[in-house]
Amino acid sequence: MQIELNEEQEFFRAATRRFLEAETPLSVVRDLYESRDGFDRTWWRKASELGWTSLLVPEQLGGGTLSGKPTCDAAIVAEEIGRLVAPGPFLPVNVVAASVAREGSDEQGSSVLPGLLSGEIVATWAICEPQRQWDVRDIRTSATPQGTDIVVDGAKAYVEALGSADLVLVSARTGDGLTQLLVPTGTPGVRTTPGRSIDITRRFGSITFDGARLPASAVVGEIGGAADQIAWQLDLAVALQCAELVGIADRTLEFTMQYGLERSAFGRPIVSYQALKHRIADMAVQLEGAKAVSDALAAAIDDGAASTSALASVAKAYVGTHALDIVDDCVQITGGIGVTWEHDIHLYNRRAAVDRAVFGTPEDHKNTLLTQVVATNKGPA
Amino acid sequence: MSPDAPEPIAVFRARAARWMERHLPRWDDELMPTRALQNLLYDHGFAGIAFPTQYGGAGLTLEHQQAFVEETAVQDRQLPMENRVSIGMLGPTILDRGSEDTKERFLPSLLRGDSVWMQLLSEPQGGSDMAGSMTRLSRDGATFVLNGSKMWSSGALEADYGLCLCRSNWDVPKHRGLSMIAVPLKDTPGMSIQPTRSASGLVSDYCEEFFDDVVLPAGNLIGGENEGWAVAQTLLMHERNTVGNIGYGRLIGQRERGPKRMFGGEPAVSSAVAAHERGRLDAVGMMIVDAYIQSVVVPLTSARVMAGLRAGTHKGQWGSLTKLQSTVAAQASVRTALAAHGADGVIWEGDEVRVDNVGTTWLESRGGTIAGGTNEMQRNIISERLLGLPKEPAPDRDLPFSEVLRNTRRR
Repeated sequence: MQIELNEEQEFFRAATRRFLEAETPLSVVRDLYESRDGFDRTWWRKASELGWTSLLVPEQLGGGTLSGKPTCDAAIVAEEIGRLVAPGPFLPVNVVAASVAREGSDEQGSSVLPGLLSGEIVATWAICEPQRQWDVRDIRTSATPQGTDIVVDGAKAYVEALGSADLVLVSARTGDGLTQLLVPTGTPGVRTTPGRSIDITRRFGSITFDGARLPASAVVGEIGGAADQIAWQLDLAVALQCAELVGIADRTLEFTMQYGLERSAFGRPIVSYQALKHRIADMAVQLEGAKAVSDALAAAIDDGAASTSALASVAKAYVGTHALDIVDDCVQITGGIGVTWEHDIHLYNRRAAVDRAVFGTPEDHKNTLLTQVVATNKGPA
Repeated sequence: MSPDAPEPIAVFRARAARWMERHLPRWDDELMPTRALQNLLYDHGFAGIAFPTQYGGAGLTLEHQQAFVEETAVQDRQLPMENRVSIGMLGPTILDRGSEDTKERFLPSLLRGDSVWMQLLSEPQGGSDMAGSMTRLSRDGATFVLNGSKMWSSGALEADYGLCLCRSNWDVPKHRGLSMIAVPLKDTPGMSIQPTRSASGLVSDYCEEFFDDVVLPAGNLIGGENEGWAVAQTLLMHERNTVGNIGYGRLIGQRERGPKRMFGGEPAVSSAVAAHERGRLDAVGMMIVDAYIQSVVVPLTSARVMAGLRAGTHKGQWGSLTKLQSTVAAQASVRTALAAHGADGVIWEGDEVRVDNVGTTWLESRGGTIAGGTNEMQRNIISERLLGLPKEPAPDRDLPFSEVLRNTRRR
């Protein structure tokens, strides 16, 4: 929820909001509950035409930023998606597009990016492994050079939009180093298993690699040299996710306060009682803090600031905790109707709970901070 | 420099950086007395940076002030922190609400640090209901006479002037019968000051003041007679800004921000070391990380609020939000240190009373969420004035104050 947006960014925010309100209002989101993919491919191409997929890709590769600060631009979309718990593989597609743009070969740039940017191709990122954490040290899936090929063995889980994906960016281990490959989902030896989440539209899936053989041209960047890039992708994913959580909390608090003004008990609006006003004031503090740290993270990524990963952990720990707390508290204020299917607040609770878990829980990030930052006396500058 | 084209921030920052390299001592150097430090800033045009030049200021903007403060943090230079109340709260209140005459008379010496100001607001019988002030101001020809007492006033023993909220009309509703008047505190006949000992055992700088027929010139009124409530509101806003480190009150640089400087708390890192050495990092670790997270988020939030106030996306009393956030965080941080140090934080060897321990810091930290308007009052302000929720019912609001008093006595 950045403060000083330029004119193009303001226009883009307004266009994004109008698009979402017209194309995927909450009634449509609810209808998508029954669908396999949770979003419509034709709709995704329209969203891509708006620029949703091109912000993190430089102009010479077909993309372009609005402000010279690509992550800040993308955060605008993520916030708006959060405000309407909108569908679509915005986060994974942008992470893969940014990764290919930064580290990919010319050939990958010309074969993959146009389709990703137009919405024809859907790609996702597979990093976390079953029952492990979103931590580079937990990557065990192996990428082993054999002749001119790379052989991949292992398993990945919690992969967003896997059922819709044509391509998967796989983060794997090669000896002491890390390697990333673009793997088409139809590759022999690759088996995908679809999965769902408590979110209405967001689908996930698991993937196994059993001697899957990829050409060397599938490698993004250098074999064994992807550690920094993977860390950067994690920071980016957390930044977009925090922006979405800010949108979720902001919108939920907004409609809950409105409801509390309209709902009376004992002859007064319920939010005229200090029991609720003081809780809401505390939520306002948490929300303002969430906006501040979320924006600071997006800006730090765009600036290439040192210790961005520590700031990402602070952001996820703070925003992940408080966004869900705010939505939960709003359920309490809403009362009985707030725990019915009919009321929209559960749509927000669902998304906030899934976001809290994916890319590391706040507790995982606190562990990281404790072991890597606080105890060694190094913090974000 | 023409008034419609103020010095560009970057140019000012560079100029300030060069100046402080040569003139301003580091925090590691010997501490310079507050008055000398304030004189030094003033004489080189760096006091009252956002105040108009005719009142002794530099005629620049709050962004310039922020740049200066940030630069002192980068270079780790001393600032007259003891003057935060005078410079961050009282000066801006006089600027916003005083007459030409009072601004010209009072502001230059305040900005130079030759006169130090503080506030006289709370009274022994109440603080949150500030408009219920019982201190009596009576007109006597061209002068006023002050009777009553004030409490919880920080720094009264050192200060030269106090800005005192008092009742000048008892027959109108409580908000409409108040006046704000400047009271000289040194050698004033009829006036006495007593320090209050805080629960931490330190002789705190909170004071109680007694006024017994103190005679004051009418020219000492700040704002009009019976218009004191508006002045008090302005003062409270500047107080919250100062505690929350925004606006004119942005006087603490980023580097020495956080719990340690604000309420003497222990930062997260030293708590981590203490807990690790004593084998309790597993149990206290998450508290420490939470304190650490707050130490990152709190300054980012003040910076965001500052930017929002500048850009116009934030309007009104956002100091209440940053005050609430920073005081809760500061207290939690000290509480964490208490957990990390365990017995070593509260027990020591030797016969003498000591206050350089985590336990005393913790006792002292309790005041943060009460002083400057309790956090419950801040939550009222946030919910009512920032978020537009309904105001608390106030049955005394439209009654003449003398009737409110009778009602109270009857019950």
